[in-house]
This record gives sequence, structure tokens and C-alpha cells, in this order.
Amino acid sequence: MTGYSTEVGEENARMIRESAGFLRAADRMATVRATRHQAPGITPQDWAVVAEMGWMGLRLSEERGGVGFGVTEFCALAEELGRGLLPEFVVSSIAIAPLLPDALLGPVLAGGHIVIPAWYEKLGEPDHVEAALAGDTITGTKRFIASAQAAHSFLVTTGQGAALVEATAPGLSLTTQALVDGGHFGELALTAAPATPVSGDVARAREEATLGIAAYLLGMAEACFAITRDYLTVREQFGRAIGSFQALQHRMVDAYLQIELARVSIAKAARIIDEGADDAEVARAVSRAKARASDMVLLVTREGVQMHGGMGYTDDCDVGLFLRKAMVVATAHGSAGWHRRRYARLADLRNSRLAA
Amino acid sequence: MTTDPMTTEHIARAAADAALTDEEFRLVVRDWIAETYMLERNLRIRPSFDYARPWYNALSARGFLAPGWPVEHGGSGLSIMKQVIIVEEQERFGCCRMNEMGVVMVGPLLIRYGTPEQQQFFLPKILSGEIRWCQGYSEPGAGSDLASLRTEAVRDGDEWVVNGQKIWTTRANDATWIFALLRTDKTVAKHAGISMFLMPMDSPGITVKGIRDLTGGEELCHTFFENVRVPHANLVGELNKGWAVNSSLLGLERVYVGLPKHSAHGLARLHDLMTLTGAWDDEAAVDRFTQFQLDLEDHIALYEAALEQVVRTGEYPANISLLKLSQTELYHRITEAMMDMGGEIAGLFDPLVEHDNLFLSNQFLLARPTTIYGGTSEVQRNILATRVLGLPK
Repeated sequence: MTGYSTEVGEENARMIRESAGFLRAADRMATVRATRHQAPGITPQDWAVVAEMGWMGLRLSEERGGVGFGVTEFCALAEELGRGLLPEFVVSSIAIAPLLPDALLGPVLAGGHIVIPAWYEKLGEPDHVEAALAGDTITGTKRFIASAQAAHSFLVTTGQGAALVEATAPGLSLTTQALVDGGHFGELALTAAPATPVSGDVARAREEATLGIAAYLLGMAEACFAITRDYLTVREQFGRAIGSFQALQHRMVDAYLQIELARVSIAKAARIIDEGADDAEVARAVSRAKARASDMVLLVTREGVQMHGGMGYTDDCDVGLFLRKAMVVATAHGSAGWHRRRYARLADLRNSRLAA
Repeated sequence: MTTDPMTTEHIARAAADAALTDEEFRLVVRDWIAETYMLERNLRIRPSFDYARPWYNALSARGFLAPGWPVEHGGSGLSIMKQVIIVEEQERFGCCRMNEMGVVMVGPLLIRYGTPEQQQFFLPKILSGEIRWCQGYSEPGAGSDLASLRTEAVRDGDEWVVNGQKIWTTRANDATWIFALLRTDKTVAKHAGISMFLMPMDSPGITVKGIRDLTGGEELCHTFFENVRVPHANLVGELNKGWAVNSSLLGLERVYVGLPKHSAHGLARLHDLMTLTGAWDDEAAVDRFTQFQLDLEDHIALYEAALEQVVRTGEYPANISLLKLSQTELYHRITEAMMDMGGEIAGLFDPLVEHDNLFLSNQFLLARPTTIYGGTSEVQRNILATRVLGLPK
């Protein structure tokens, strides 16, 4: 064990969860509904809270004006964001904040400037990069950028490192695709767009963003599961609450087990990062957690719809908000299958001698 | 009279073990096992008590047999974490498993509910291996619904007369005493008329008959009671409070059933099988294996998190039985994959001697009862749904 203290991490995480309490409010889903299919995808009120709470500085050292919290606390926050369906780009934006230059930090922390990472180029290959940084311009195409219309700048990955490109830069054109959860993906076409290279460990920031998304999925699943459980206790058929039927009880326990497995998997990955694990170990743990979370959230949200019966298929029922969000976010930073394959490759399972 | 093991030396060694950090203690246990273990490693079956006796005695002499018992009763008074370390290190080394009913169940039962006479008589004999226990709980008509048990004890002066039948009394054919739940009041609600008794297996009227299981083994037994006379002094705890006495005991074994050992062993053998059949070139097979590996690692995380919580709060969380579900059902899935990937060799009656004794059919069959004993998966789900998730009964 290193000097990292679980107790301190947990106390911080408790404070973070408290600060996100508004995301558990009864009228939260009304806000989510009102934001759907509206650019830029986040309400000014929600964004103001993100800034006011200092969440953008969560992973930033205190010397640079941040809070200096670890990945454990970051995941606690991401989980709360998922619970309240605050747009998921916020998770990635928090993860990359430590990479930003000092000049940009002031406006970012104050909430006046939003930076969204642009990692993807190729369908199903989250790591594939062809975009090129030549001098101080970038040429290439970036796709599947969640809530791209909210960005003032993009952090663009290239074969020669990452760089910042302003949303209004010449040589940049943004097109969008609507998503089933009411948000949108942006596609950036960059032709010699002016860019400012950044230093820092971009790959590690992405691992952390991926883990944060896994935590976001966990929060979503917990919220959807709670709604479903409450419904099972009040909905009556055949003269009794339907939650008394074993067929449903046992499936709820199966979903609950998957939620708990995702929780400990994410917590363990966060802990080893905070304890200073090396890149290979981090990548394996993150893939493990993300594969679990992606499969789990789709199970929990599907079951939520099924257990609500016909009501679950209506747009009025909140479980549908979670199902459609899961359909979009479960594949972010790599699907469950992609992460299992990455894990198998990294762990070299074929040649590893297992302890029996 | 004090119990024999309570010597100055015993007390000093227990104190020294207690003073070590968990990390230090683990290394002490690991080294001691490596130096001391004298029997065959990685036995696939639980051996007879006579075979295991040297190891039992060695553990007892070192204070590692009953590490959780208080020092004044001959134990070492060690923390839950250190008790778990002793189990984990034995699993890691491949030490043989033994009949631990006396240490895990009866000892704590008597320490908490036994009379001073019962404690002085039984506890040293458990530590010395002179008395070995079997558990008389289930009956042909009382399995998952254990509280409907009907084996009856009727009072006759200072004695009770027992008639009826127990089933699944593991190793009754190798035990010297039985601890049993018996019906002592038929006029009240089913949970309220049950008492716990201790009986020697050589009591007139007790007969045991082995039950051949699917692997061909005979560890499980029927135990029949015909006018068996038991002194009143062999009642444990209050009359008609047997159900509560038993429920309060469920503790560490709920953590032990979550030990990842079965699944880890099964997965290692699946790895061997895939090497044997060339399945590492088959993408679908590799993805399947990877899923199991991730399931195992996440299960280990679940196990560690539960243990951490037990150690920190001193209590067993309400959802502790998730560990049993998670571990046993993963073991099932792994052995099911063995049946599929094994093809024609899946159904062989004997191990493949030339392949490190790979024994697919045995693995698959041994996995079956893990989701049945100690509360079936279905009963565990009922309990979790109502007590943890708060779903209506």
C-alpha cells in the first residue's frame, strides 16, 4: 500500500455526492426532458452548477487552482452525473482539464469556456488516429463527439500528440447527427485548422475519462433500478404487488448483482490508479470496469422497460430516458466487446499461467 | 478446571500473532504452511479424517485451527481478517480440506450458548480432533423449507427420546457426534418449536447410510434416529430457541463461500483444455474465456470489498449472500463451457492422466451442488429480493 488513504478518498467522495444532490431531486427528469433535441445539449443552469461547484477543477492540482482530488472522487462525481443524466461530455471534460494550458484554465474553471475532447475517427476503433498535426495546424476528421455544439474548443488527438482547436477556427467545419437520447454527435472536418499543442499524458487522461464513463453508467443503472424497484412495490396485478412474484424478484437480484460487480470493479480500478499503478495495469483495470459497466447498464435499463410493462414503452416513463442514454453511452470509449478484446490482448491470456 | 491448550505458551503465541500486521501475519502463515504441510497437495476430494489428522493436529498445535475462538477457550482470538488469511493461504498452497464443522460451527455455538460443562467437555476434544461433527439439519421433507423439520425429541424425565430421519448429513460416516435441530414443540409456529441437541453417533438407535452422488462419491448420508435417548444436558441454548441459535451463528462461512477458489481452479483447467484442443485460435472461445476471467476478477473485487466492510464494521452486510451467488454461478458457467469446448472428451469417466489429470466430467458434476447446499441459489435470491431490495413478500 502507498500513502493513499481510502478513508480520505471516501470522505471526499461523500462531499462530492452531497454537492451533486440536486441531481437526485424529484423534478430532475423534467429538466432532462426539456433539454432533449435542443442545442447545445446542456442547460445554462446545469452548466452554471458545474462551474460553481468547481467540478472542472476536480482533477486539477491545487497549485493550478483546482481541488486536487483523485480518481476515486472523480468516479463518485461521474456516478452522480449519471444518476441525474447530466450530459456525459462533462465527465470527459473534467478528465482532460489537467492537460489545458494555464491561460485557458481561468475561463474553463469559471464556466465561460467549454473544452470537449475529440478522440474518435473510425467506427468501432476508439484508438485509431490518422489526424495529423503539422506545425501549428491540424488536418483530419474527428467523429462521434458527444455534445460537440456545446464546445468553445476541442482537444483533438493526432498522430503527433494532442492540440487545442477553437470551435470558430478557420478550416474547421462541424456537422451533427442526432442521437436517440436527444443529444447529438459532432463530426469535425479539419483542414489546416490552427491548433495549440498541449503537453501532458493524454493517453492516461483518456483512460480516466473511460473509467469516469463507466461510473456514469453505474449511476444511470442505479437510478433506473431504483425507479423499477419502486414500481414493483406499488403496481398491483392479480391482487398483489407484482414485486412479490419470484420471476421478477430473481431477475431484479440478477440485475443487482451486476450493479454491485460494476461498482467494485470501478472502485478497484480507481483505487489502483490513485495508488500509482503502471499504464498496462491501468488499461487492464479500466477495460475490465468498462466492459462490465457497458453490459450491466444495458441489462438494467432493458429490464426496467420490461418490468414496467406497456408503460415502459411510452415516452412518459422515465426508464426510457435511461435506456436511450445507455444505448448511446454504453459504447463510448469502446464497447464491452472492444474492451474484452483489449483486455485479452493486454493480459496475454493465452500464454499466462493461471494460479489454480 | 481449565482447558488443556490454555498454557502460558499458547497465550503468548496468540498475543504475538495478534500483534503482527495483516501483511506480516500472512507471510508468517505462508512460511509456516510451506515448512509444515505433510500431506498430498491439491487433492480433488476431501480425504477421510484419519488421513487428514496430522495436518489437523499441526494446525491445532500452532493455534491456526480455531484462530477465531477466544484465547480462554483454547483459540487464538485473532481478527476476522487474520482468520481469513489462514484459510486463503491454505487454499493457495493446496492444503487438504477437512471436516471443520467442530471448529467453524459447534465451537462458536458452544462458546456463545453452551453451559460451562459443555464447553469444558467439548471444546478441548474439538481442538484435539477426538470429536468430529456432522450436521443434522435437512430432512427428506425439509430442505429449503428447513423450519418444517419433523425429527422429533420427546421429553422423558432427564432425557429426550429422538425419532426421525436426517438427510445430507455430510460425512456422518466419518463423524463421532452430530449437532441436530429437532422438533420439541409441535403446538406452536414452526420456527418456535425447534431445539438444538448434541448426540454421539454411537448412540443406540442411530444408523447411517451413505448416499451415492453423481460423481460416485459417498460423502453425503442418511441418518436415522429410532428411540435414541439424549440427556437433557445435551440441549444447547434454550429449549425451543434452536432456530434463533442457529441463525445467529451464520457468520464467517458466508464469507468463505465467496472465496474464489472453485472458479479460479475451474478457469485454470479451462485454460488447459483450450491449450489441449487448440481453442486459443478460435476468437469466439477466447472471448468466452476472457468474459470468465473478467467475471472472476470482478468477483474477487466483490469478495475483497465485502471482507473489507466486515473487518471495518464488525458486521456482516445484509447483501453478503451475493458472494455465494456470484461465486457458485460463475463456477457453473465455467464448467458448462468445459462441457461444450471439451467435445467428445467431456463425458469421459476417468481423468486424462496424460494431460495433468484434466477431468471435465468431474469438474462439471462437482459444480452442481454448490448452488444447492447452504441455501439454494433460488432461496438466496428470495432473501436478497425481500430483505435487501425491499420487494414485497
